[in-house]
Amino acid sequence: MKKRMDKKQKNIEIDMRGQVCPSTMLVALEAINKYGDELHGGMEQLCILTDNREATNTIPDIAVNMGYAVQVDRQDSFYRITLSCAE
Amino acid sequence: MVAAGLVMGLIAGFVMHRADYCVAGMFRDIFLFGRLGMMRFLILQVVGTMLLFELARLFGLLPLYPFPMLSPPSLANLLAGTLFGLGMVMAGGCVFGTLYKMGAGSVISAVAFLGLVLGSGLYALIHPWWSDLSRVTTLVAGHVTLPQLLDISPTIFVLLLGVPALFLFFRWQRQGLWQRGVVVAGYLQPWKSAVILALLGLLSYVLIGMPLGATTTFAKVAAMLTEIVAAQAVADSSFFQAIALDLRHPFSNARLWGGPGPQVDTILAIQLPIIVGIVLGSTLSALLLREFNICFKLPPRQLVGAMAGGLLMGLAARMTPGCNIWHLMGGLPVMAMQSLLFLLGLFPGAWLGGKIIKTMVRLPART
Repeated sequence: MKKRMDKKQKNIEIDMRGQVCPSTMLVALEAINKYGDELHGGMEQLCILTDNREATNTIPDIAVNMGYAVQVDRQDSFYRITLSCAE
Repeated sequence: MVAAGLVMGLIAGFVMHRADYCVAGMFRDIFLFGRLGMMRFLILQVVGTMLLFELARLFGLLPLYPFPMLSPPSLANLLAGTLFGLGMVMAGGCVFGTLYKMGAGSVISAVAFLGLVLGSGLYALIHPWWSDLSRVTTLVAGHVTLPQLLDISPTIFVLLLGVPALFLFFRWQRQGLWQRGVVVAGYLQPWKSAVILALLGLLSYVLIGMPLGATTTFAKVAAMLTEIVAAQAVADSSFFQAIALDLRHPFSNARLWGGPGPQVDTILAIQLPIIVGIVLGSTLSALLLREFNICFKLPPRQLVGAMAGGLLMGLAARMTPGCNIWHLMGGLPVMAMQSLLFLLGLFPGAWLGGKIIKTMVRLPART
């Protein structure tokens, strides 16, 4: 698991590939909890890399309910879920 | 038999991967996230299987009814169900879930698979006293299913449960609850997966005389491996020497026989192709989607958890005996009381598993 902050794009990136189900969802919830202010304020966006097909459904579901804009992109063999401040 | 098992396994593995049809997750998420949504598809599968089995029985296609290798209910089934529920959540998938996830490249599930084989073999050590416990806690000797116990035709039971369920399904249909909006490539709606798996269960029952199962073979693999280093231990083990199945199929007159020992028998011929099929079916699905990926950089605590979960699940699958697919998609549809107790046990097990899995996952510290 690695995480880095890209200052230019202000991304918090979390790589959850290969991890046990439902790690992606649990970590997403924890990250939303921890960085909620930065995310809602639009200073940062949260990027989660996952190969868990189910997470691409459950995380957007819950994040949209919490007022975030969510985008899911396919990248090579995995998916990138991006959470940001809703317009 | 081998070809039929392989084809059924390939189809099952393929559709389970496409729909991410994770039975462990369905139970776990009730407690972990308060999500009941995916359970809907399992209910569809169980009720669908129940209706299909009953129709087939009425048409005379199921001369072995209830199917072999079911026993009268015992409190041991409940305890084993709880252990199984805990194990499947820690392993990140039930027996079939572990197979299809491993097929798509999951290292965690491959570790859980090793745990399954190990746990199935280790059961041999506790078999003598566990089978005694199972015997003394038997609730109603001589009866396997609820209709047998109450001396009522299974048709009445199926109608009593099936008709209200169909009304519920139509209601869910009107509410639009069957369709999930999903963005992944090649997604198969889980209701389709549920229907296909129910049809496969029927096919297996009609062709082979039993619904889908896999776990006796894990014990057989453990016995074969143990035999290489300690042949005497296998020869002395009452578990490995037991014969769980010995009868002739009334239609084909084929002899169905076997047990958890290292011999090549009908159980191996039925189950091994299904196991191999599920893994390869899922690999095929993942490769076609270009989603096959093996990731080795994993938190050690998750690897330990998956091994422990697989081991518990392997043990519990022999203690019950049978896995969740065998019981939920075979035993429950014929209203086997053993399967009902196993199902009840899964809930507290999955609840506990949810608590433990939370400790296996960490948000990395900010760098």
